[in-house]
Amino acid sequence: MRWSLGLAITIVIGYSLILVLLDEFVAKPWRHRRLLQRARAGDRTAQELLSRAGAAAGESREARGQ
Amino acid sequence: MAMEYQVAEEKRLLYWLGERLIDYRLPVTIGVLLLTGFFAYCAFQLRLVTSFGELLPQSHPYIKIHNRFAGTFGGANNIMVMVEVKEGTIFTPETLNKIWRITEAIDTVYGVNHNQIESIAHRTVRYLKVAAGGTMRATPVMLGEVKTQEQADEIRRIVHSAENIYGILVSLDDKAALIRANFIEGRLDYRRIFDEVNERVVAPYRDENTEIFVAGEPRLYGWVYHYASDVLLVFVLAYCIEWLLRWLYFHDWRGALRPTITGIIAAFWGLGFIELIGFSLDPLMLVMPFLITARAVSHSIQMHDRYYEEFERHGWNKRRAIVAAFAELFVPTFSGITTDALGVLVILLVPVVMLQKLAITASFWIFAITISELLLNPIVYYYLKAPEPEIVLVRDEGIFRRVVTRAVDAILSRRGQVAVLAFWLVAAGVAGYFVRGLIIGDPTSASPLLWPDSPYNVSHQRIQDKFGGVEPLIVVAEGLDRDAMKDPATLRRMERFQRTLERDPSVGYSFSLADIIRAVNSVFHELEPKWGVIPNNWVDVGGLFFIYFSGSPPTETAKYVDPSYTTAHVTFFCKDHKGENIRRIVQRCKDFIFSGQLEDLGIEVEEDKGGTIISSVSNAVRWEQAGPSWLVSTAEHAGPGPFQRGDRIVRVGRTPVGDLASFRSALTVETANASLIDFALERNGSVVEITVVAPWKAVFKLAGGLIGVLAAANEELFRNDVLMNVLGFATMYVIVLFTYRSFAAPLFLLGPLMLANLLVNAYMAGRNIGINIHTLPLVTVGVGFGIDYGLYIVSRAIEEIRSSGNVEQAVRNALLTSGKAVSFTALSMTLVTALWSLSSIRFNAEMGSLLALWMAISYVGAVTLLPVLLIRLHPRFLVREAATVAPQD
Repeated sequence: MRWSLGLAITIVIGYSLILVLLDEFVAKPWRHRRLLQRARAGDRTAQELLSRAGAAAGESREARGQ
Repeated sequence: MAMEYQVAEEKRLLYWLGERLIDYRLPVTIGVLLLTGFFAYCAFQLRLVTSFGELLPQSHPYIKIHNRFAGTFGGANNIMVMVEVKEGTIFTPETLNKIWRITEAIDTVYGVNHNQIESIAHRTVRYLKVAAGGTMRATPVMLGEVKTQEQADEIRRIVHSAENIYGILVSLDDKAALIRANFIEGRLDYRRIFDEVNERVVAPYRDENTEIFVAGEPRLYGWVYHYASDVLLVFVLAYCIEWLLRWLYFHDWRGALRPTITGIIAAFWGLGFIELIGFSLDPLMLVMPFLITARAVSHSIQMHDRYYEEFERHGWNKRRAIVAAFAELFVPTFSGITTDALGVLVILLVPVVMLQKLAITASFWIFAITISELLLNPIVYYYLKAPEPEIVLVRDEGIFRRVVTRAVDAILSRRGQVAVLAFWLVAAGVAGYFVRGLIIGDPTSASPLLWPDSPYNVSHQRIQDKFGGVEPLIVVAEGLDRDAMKDPATLRRMERFQRTLERDPSVGYSFSLADIIRAVNSVFHELEPKWGVIPNNWVDVGGLFFIYFSGSPPTETAKYVDPSYTTAHVTFFCKDHKGENIRRIVQRCKDFIFSGQLEDLGIEVEEDKGGTIISSVSNAVRWEQAGPSWLVSTAEHAGPGPFQRGDRIVRVGRTPVGDLASFRSALTVETANASLIDFALERNGSVVEITVVAPWKAVFKLAGGLIGVLAAANEELFRNDVLMNVLGFATMYVIVLFTYRSFAAPLFLLGPLMLANLLVNAYMAGRNIGINIHTLPLVTVGVGFGIDYGLYIVSRAIEEIRSSGNVEQAVRNALLTSGKAVSFTALSMTLVTALWSLSSIRFNAEMGSLLALWMAISYVGAVTLLPVLLIRLHPRFLVREAATVAPQD
């Protein structure tokens, strides 16, 4: 296959968009669910992370409100 | 500079700047985007162009000679087409007609010098024909297409009896014919030449029994252009892999996107600048933009990592995290960019236009990272949505963090420290042994730009095998006056020059005016071998030249001798262009020219206590005084000459003479165009000034042809290589000195870097990669890579010691924070740079592998040797920071 600049740019932009969408709509929810499952299963690290993240989210909203 | 929170005094300005950038984000963004848009527009106009003249060190004396005579005696841009038959010989009507048509086709290729085509089917290749009545004429070997086998047999007979054709344009086994065409340097369009040769020369005439091989510099660059689109494959793969790795590392698409923005903006600025100032991109330099973009991305990864860290530290306050990351990393980032940019600028020292252009553009491009990485960074973060705290927290618990923590524990343990020091000691010893094999110039006979099994190298090898040598070294014999080339002594000297150099194993064969005169003389005397000599007087020589050249237009004869018979050349066809072979051949040329001049002057010299002494004076050269000058006399006069045994040569012309080498160069310089030579001789304690009339009619001057220009390039690279390395390191030393206000700090950073440099050079020597015009800039840029890693780690260690007050703890924390980002950057960049090994252009593949290795070694040095040295030596520039107060929120 002969490579052209247009083809290369199309591929990288398309690839980036797919990765962004995958991250937002697949990977992040999946990671969160997995952390919840681990926490429910009694994983201390997961529980601690979730509680820290919850507190941090509150702080973050507060910081944004300032 | 009022701020809502407290920061250390020395960082206040940077925090203020970060805040103001966010405050004035709109005008800054508009300004940067407008400029980026402009540079992007320019970048899309950029074309891949190689200018042959820009590859040459134009101030070198060889190149001056090359430039003067390339148009007549032949340049470095030859294309060789070998037509080879598998069965039978070329002396059949069918094959000879193919050679005829291919020769005609070559003559139509863009940029060809129509008077510098050599082929048995070209008008300029002639033989002497004795006509009825004893008259002789030089007639082209082929006057048209061949119709019968008898005509083909007649051509075979002509070829076999012509010394300037048999073995040179027709192989000794009659199976191959060579067509050599020279191209005008100002009209070299490699892509067009490549396509036209394929369409007109190769494709129509290749069949079951006929193979066509094409080699030569224009063809080589044509192949390079042909493969250049590979860079897009490497770019796409690198981009995709890098995005994936960054996404996995940051657990967030913003971490993947942010460095891309930096890289793209810097690339637009860099590429746009290249176009804007009228430069172009060389396909062999495509690794360089990739490398600079990799640098931009590396800095950006550090910044993004720090942003996450500060986001957590500042209670998830985005604005404060942005400003803190900007201010805390400003010093190492800016210092890193400046060392890289100024380090590259030392390439300006090499007097090769292409390298000088590269130094300017690469330096600008690297400085452009300041805009995309530092100036725009706080604004981009401000506009991007802040990451969810969960992401920031979770990513710090991943496998990469655990591996880094374990590695840091191992390295900083007592045993680990000893192992690190022992490893680097042994590595330095081994590298020191191998680095001696590093070569200036090309280390192989094949072109190192393409793979050994590439069509080009296969063709080149086949032609070399069939015809001995095909790479020309042109030595110009420039007369002091008209008709100098009719001087029998000059012709004999040319002949001796040929016989002397032909003893070199890398010289295949040679050609000069002396060959023509001997052949003509022999034909003139009914082919009696005893007459195959150079006549003893000017009149006979002139007569023979008249016979041979009469009827040929000056444009045809000019490739042998100029119309006034003042200047001619001796061309040596070399078997390869290995750096060491070129050096040896050129040295042999210099030795021959020097000894010939001494012989003509009738003296022998030797070195004594740093001076040059005349050790003997020959009686064979008789001098007589004519007015104030001495001239060689043919009269039976045996009086004392201008030189006496024991004279110390003080000066030749205006050039002072010390040792023998300086006498050699003084004689070369002062006799270049002079018919009177002044000598200052120290005799019996006083200085005697004498003037002699040059006892020769012509002077040999180096050097044109491919070998000549490569010799010039190699000499310049050799002269500047060490200087460039010293200045490159000195530049880095000064910048690090100012960054940390310590004389010792640069030593800690440059020490591991020098060892990495040594290891990479040893690798180059081991892999047969020579220092040449293409590898040199990449090697120089590579040196700067390691300094970035060290700067981030040392800066962080300084920050950490302000809070912990303990060197070990500070270094450990630096490795766990900045060191982690450095590790990710180094590993991911090494991986994607290694993708260059997929390139069909061997040079790009090897440079990619080399730079990947460089990054890996520099990284290992920065995360092993540097921290161990900091811990064991407790440098003052680090310890003194323990006393300063940590910044408080």
